[in-house]
Amino acid sequence: MKFKADEIASVIQKEIEDFKGQIETAEVGRVVEVGDGIARAVGLSSAMAGEMVEFSNGTNGLCFNMEENSVGIIILGDYLNIQEGDEIKTTGQLLSVPVGEAMIGRVIDPLGNPLDGKGPIVTSERRPVETPAPGVADRQPVKEPLQTGIKAVDAMTPIGRGQRELIIGDRKTGKTAVALDTIINQKGGDVICIYVACGQRSASVAQVVEALEANGAMDYSIVISATASDPAPLQYIAPYAGAAIAEYFMYQGKHTLCVYDDLTKQAQAYRQLSLLMRRPPGREAYPGDVFYCHSRLLERAAKLNAELGGGSMTALPIIETLEGEVSAYIPTNVISITDGQIYLEPDLFFAGVRPAINVGISVSRVGGNAQTKAMKKVAGSLRLDLAAFRELEAFAQLGTELDAATQRQLDRGYRMVELLKQPQYEPLHFADQVISIYAGTKGYFDTVPVNQVARAEKEMLQFMADEKSEVRNAIIESKELSSETEDALKAALAEFRDRFKAEATGGLVGETAETA
Amino acid sequence: MSETEPKTRPSHVLEDPSAKVVARVYANAFLNAAGEAGQAEALEEFTSFVDDVLRPNPEFARLLTTEVTGREEKLGLIDRVVAPTGSERFTNFLRVLARHERLELLPLILGETWLEHEKRAGRQRVIVRTAAALDEKRLDGIRERLAAALPFEPILIPEVDETLVGGLVVQIGDTVHDGSLRTRIRDLKDRLRERYLNEIQSGRDRFSHPEGN
Repeated sequence: MKFKADEIASVIQKEIEDFKGQIETAEVGRVVEVGDGIARAVGLSSAMAGEMVEFSNGTNGLCFNMEENSVGIIILGDYLNIQEGDEIKTTGQLLSVPVGEAMIGRVIDPLGNPLDGKGPIVTSERRPVETPAPGVADRQPVKEPLQTGIKAVDAMTPIGRGQRELIIGDRKTGKTAVALDTIINQKGGDVICIYVACGQRSASVAQVVEALEANGAMDYSIVISATASDPAPLQYIAPYAGAAIAEYFMYQGKHTLCVYDDLTKQAQAYRQLSLLMRRPPGREAYPGDVFYCHSRLLERAAKLNAELGGGSMTALPIIETLEGEVSAYIPTNVISITDGQIYLEPDLFFAGVRPAINVGISVSRVGGNAQTKAMKKVAGSLRLDLAAFRELEAFAQLGTELDAATQRQLDRGYRMVELLKQPQYEPLHFADQVISIYAGTKGYFDTVPVNQVARAEKEMLQFMADEKSEVRNAIIESKELSSETEDALKAALAEFRDRFKAEATGGLVGETAETA
Repeated sequence: MSETEPKTRPSHVLEDPSAKVVARVYANAFLNAAGEAGQAEALEEFTSFVDDVLRPNPEFARLLTTEVTGREEKLGLIDRVVAPTGSERFTNFLRVLARHERLELLPLILGETWLEHEKRAGRQRVIVRTAAALDEKRLDGIRERLAAALPFEPILIPEVDETLVGGLVVQIGDTVHDGSLRTRIRDLKDRLRERYLNEIQSGRDRFSHPEGN
C-alpha cells in the first residue's frame, strides 16, 4: 500500500497546531557512580521507591534504594553510555508495560519492546509491572482443571486454573519440556499462555519460539525474553512484566497460563543487584527479601471470583536444582510458596522415563478439586500402586522367589511406568488419558510385552477414536465415567485386546524366525 | 566564596553526599554559635580565611589537612597562625574541627554555611539556564516574577547552555521547571512518532484479515 502524502501532512499539521508547549516540571539529580546495571545518584530529593527515572541519554531506570544522601537506581537498558555527572530526571510514574490483544503472538523484551521484527506493537493500554495480588475476597477456590496433556501430571499431580505449580529438577531433566507441552496442549482452548524466559540462553529461547510456532501455539502465546546476556535488572523484572500482561487478560475474565523459566536465574539477578546496591547479604548471599521477591510474584496467580469476571492466572514457575538438592535456599522458598511441585529426576530421565517425574514426591495441593470426575476415578489409586510397585521392584532385585500375585503386580507396574512415558510435543486429550490409564490399571495391557506398550497404547487410542468414538465422546461430554460408559469402555478394550494379541503374536513369531 | 571560579570539572563529580551531610552539621553549628546578629561577620571571616589564607598558601592548607601532621601539631599550628589575628570564635571553630579531624571538609563546610545563611535570611539560589546570555534588565524581570511566585527571595545564578535552543530552564534545589525549546521540540517529536506509528498500524490492519492473522 502507499501512504497518501496529503493525508499524513494534514495529520502532522494538525498535531503541530494543537501542540501547546507546557512547562515540564521534574525533579533532577546527578549520577555519582555507575556499576553493572546500577547507578547511584545525588539529588532526586522527592523520588519515590519504584519510581521510573530517565537518564539524559534516554535510558530508563528504577529507584531501588532510597538512602539518606543518595538514591540507588537500577538501569533498564544500556548502562555503558551512562557516565558520572549525567543528569537524571524523575518521571512521576511507576514502571509499566504495554498490555493488550496486540501482544499475543509476539516475542518481546521485559519492557514490552518487540524482538521478533514484526513491527511495532500498537496498544494504548499499559499496566504497572508491580501490582498488588488479588485479596482474599477477590478469589475463589481453584476448581477448574488446566489440562497439561501429560498423562503423569494430569493423573497424579493435576493442575487447576489459578494454581501455582512448581516444576523443579536438575539441569537437562525436561523442565521446560513439561511447560511447553502444557502450552501446546492449550491449542484450540481458551487459555492465553505467557512464557517468560529469564536468564536463558538466547539459543534456547529461539528454540522455544520455534517449537511454539511449529505446533501452532504462538497464536495464543506471548514470549517475554530476558536472556543471559541482558542486564540483570531486565532479568529481574521479566517475571513481573509477564504477570502484568497476564493480569490484563485475567481481569477481563479470561484464563491465562504464565510460565516463569526460571526463577533461580531471577533470584541470582536480584542477588547481583542487591549486592551491587550494598544491601546486606543473607543465606547463600541472597538478600533478606528474596522470599518476598518470589512470593509477591506468585501470589498474583489467582482464580478471580464471579464478580470480577472469573478469570484466572495459573503460574508454572521453574526452579533448577543442583545435584537434586531441593533443600537449598531458593528451592525451599519457592516450594513453600507454591501449591505443589512436579519433581523431575535425572536418574529417571536417563533411564528413559520421560517426562522424568518422580511421582513419589511430586504433589498438587489443590489440583485434586480441579480434576475431572473421570480422571479422578481412574487415577485414584495410581500413585499408591506405583509407590507399591517401586518397593516391590527393589525387593525383586534381590532375586528372591516371588509368588504369582506379586509377580503379577510387578508386571503391571512395569507396564504402567511404560504407559506414563510420553514423547515431547505430543500432549494427549483428557479422554485419551482416561482411556489409557483405565486400560493400564485394569490390566488390559498385561498380555502386551513391556517394550510394545507404547505401540499398543497408540493403536488402542486410534482404535477408540476410529471405531468406538461413541465411548470417547461420552467421556468428553460428561467428563465422568458412568457405569454405562465404563461397561462400554470395558467391552471396547476387551475387543482391542483380542485383536492386538493376534497382531503382536504374529509380529513376535516373525521376529523369532528372523533371529533364528 | 567565589562563584566565578573556573570549572575544571563539574562540581558534582566525586562529590561525596555523606561528607556533605557532615559539613552541613558543622555549618549549622557555626552559624548558631555566631548568633543571629553576628552571622554575617562570622561568615565574612570564614570566607576570607578560605579565600585569602588557604588559597594563596596551598602548602599551609596541605599542612592543615594532611594526616602526616598529627592532631596536636595541627592545634599548635592554629594557635600560632590563626589565633593572633582571627576572632576567638573562629579559632575555636578551627580547633574543634582539628580535634575531630574534619579540617579537610573546610571548603565544603564554607559552601554549606553560605547556603544555610541564605536560607535563614529567606533567600535561595535559583539557577536560570538560557540559550544565550541575558542582560541585567531581563534578569531583573525574571527575578521579580520569581519573587512573586516563590515563598523566598531568589538569588539568580544565570547559566548559558546553547543546546536549549531557546526558552528558559529554572532550577530550584532539585526541581527543574523546563520551558526550553529543546524539550518542547522533543515532546513534539515523540507525539508525531506515536501518531504516525498509529497511522501505519491502522493502514496495515486495513489489509489484514478482520479476525486477526
